[in-house]
Amino acid sequence: MEKPMNEKPLPRDAFIDEVYEYATRDRNIIFITADLGAKALDRFRRDLPGQFFHLGICEQNMIDVAAGLAQNGRIVFVYAMGPFVTLRCLEQIKVALASMHLPCCIIGNGVGYSYDDAGPTHYATEDVACMRSIAGCEVLTVGDTWSARLTARRSCTDPGLRYVRLDRAFLPDAHGEGDDRLWNDGITVVAPGEKTLLLANGSMLQRALEVRSLLAESAPAPAVADLFRTTPIRGDVLRSLTAPFDRLVTIEEHFLSGGSGGAIAEAMADHGISKPLMRIAIPDQYRFDNGGRRYLLELVGLDVRTMADRVREFATN
Amino acid sequence: MILAFGHEDPLSFKFLGSSSILDEATSEMRVERSLLTEKAAWLRRECFEMVVRSRKGHFPSSSSCADILVTLMYGGWMRCTAANPRAPDRDRLFISKGHAGMALYPILEDMGFVAKGELLKFTKANGVFKFYPDQSIPGIEAITGSLAHGIGIATGHCLAGRQDGRDFRCYVIVSDGECYEGSTWEAALFASHQRLNRLVVFVDRNGCCILDHTEKCVALDPLAEKWRAFGWNVIEIDAHDVGQIDEALQAAEACTDKPTAIVALSIKGKGVSFMENRPEWHNKMPNEEQIAIARRELDVTTA
Repeated sequence: MEKPMNEKPLPRDAFIDEVYEYATRDRNIIFITADLGAKALDRFRRDLPGQFFHLGICEQNMIDVAAGLAQNGRIVFVYAMGPFVTLRCLEQIKVALASMHLPCCIIGNGVGYSYDDAGPTHYATEDVACMRSIAGCEVLTVGDTWSARLTARRSCTDPGLRYVRLDRAFLPDAHGEGDDRLWNDGITVVAPGEKTLLLANGSMLQRALEVRSLLAESAPAPAVADLFRTTPIRGDVLRSLTAPFDRLVTIEEHFLSGGSGGAIAEAMADHGISKPLMRIAIPDQYRFDNGGRRYLLELVGLDVRTMADRVREFATN
Repeated sequence: MILAFGHEDPLSFKFLGSSSILDEATSEMRVERSLLTEKAAWLRRECFEMVVRSRKGHFPSSSSCADILVTLMYGGWMRCTAANPRAPDRDRLFISKGHAGMALYPILEDMGFVAKGELLKFTKANGVFKFYPDQSIPGIEAITGSLAHGIGIATGHCLAGRQDGRDFRCYVIVSDGECYEGSTWEAALFASHQRLNRLVVFVDRNGCCILDHTEKCVALDPLAEKWRAFGWNVIEIDAHDVGQIDEALQAAEACTDKPTAIVALSIKGKGVSFMENRPEWHNKMPNEEQIAIARRELDVTTA
């Protein structure tokens, strides 16, 4: 018998369990891992051995094999840690998947400093920049458990080339269940406010909500939006979403260069949206610090108090 | 559509009728070995003339695998039809050494995968045939050009075929230079672990990369031993002996528990004396005098 799922499923388990539900009904769904596991994956490989492949620690071959499977109509999920399933095999993603217009769901586990003890090798801090440059590839950062399920479900029913960033840690729900608007719009407001809109993704979505609470103690609360889909950004959505606000702030656990904030800045320029914008992100610098994720985020200014100070100052200037 | 060997013109195929059964097409396509060698000479002439016309392309790398391609395509091995290049049961051919993808173009035109005259438009704006092959060209399965993708992609095809219970084979032509790439060996490990016996890789062992002979820059030998150590059924042959190529393919077909690597010792630039085994000719263009010599050696009569 199945053990009952932890009350707080990790994003990867929520995602894989959803894929499992579809895979039991559709043998075209194939899940490939390059030696990264998950509690939910144990059940998948046990029940669906013909639809599961362990490729070994071979991300480059994993992508090429996925391309060959996709050419034969398979709906392929490839799974590894964020930096490895992107940078390690970026050329394979470009050539074998993107240039041949093949669908594949590339799952990167461990957004930003998720693997906090591991150091720069395991930090996913350039993956958005790299994957944003792959033509035709969607870049999605999952900000809560519900959107992990949503992304898995839509990747089964609407295959495309996408890079899905899953946080390693549990993420409480920020969206209302059943709200597919996030999938259509890519960015949706999760907490109302005025004057300033905070656009955050991944673990930073919860941080942004905390920033909002802190600021609300002394001033009108800013609004918070989930910057779920970094690429492509819908100009019409961004325009209507940002219209009520004077200032925009992006918050992400990724290097400043080429990240989600950069994507917003580009989209604003492309769509003639002219407002003050502040990008909060990890400074472009490799860190080798012990002490855990919370401490690391403090070191780079992504703690709630520092961010709240920056937003307050930005909003009043 | 059945391709059959015409009596009047022994080096071209004619359409006899239509059939959806690929096996029939295969049997009709099988030709005698002596004619395969002639066909390979024809392919070398065509490749050379493509280069002369466009001043682009890789003749030496194409020539080194010409006999292999001819044996696969005209020797009754590749079950594929121009009428339905994406038939699910077709055999798949991947020219992983994409710079030699042009060697397949004369064959694709000859077999009717593209309209007659396309060869003259190689690399031209209105032409189907590109400098490197890609999936937009009928008869080409996947983009290559960047090295060491072919085996991995073919592995995906083999896994899908196994899941679907189809018996198609995947043939991959890799250069020895591709054996420098780590992804070649990632793919080699996985394919042998999966016992993909319908995967056949030709290693075009011409011993040359761009700057030097492989054994002088970074030695690859013993190359066959490396494939054997990775769990493959390894056969070593002369890449320019169609009889040996055919026998190796029979041995590959007989192997039921491993993928096969046919390490084929070849001569880069085969057929043009001053290019043979000379790395510097990888993508160098011959001058008028050299063209005349090469045409004499290749028996070009149409120029």
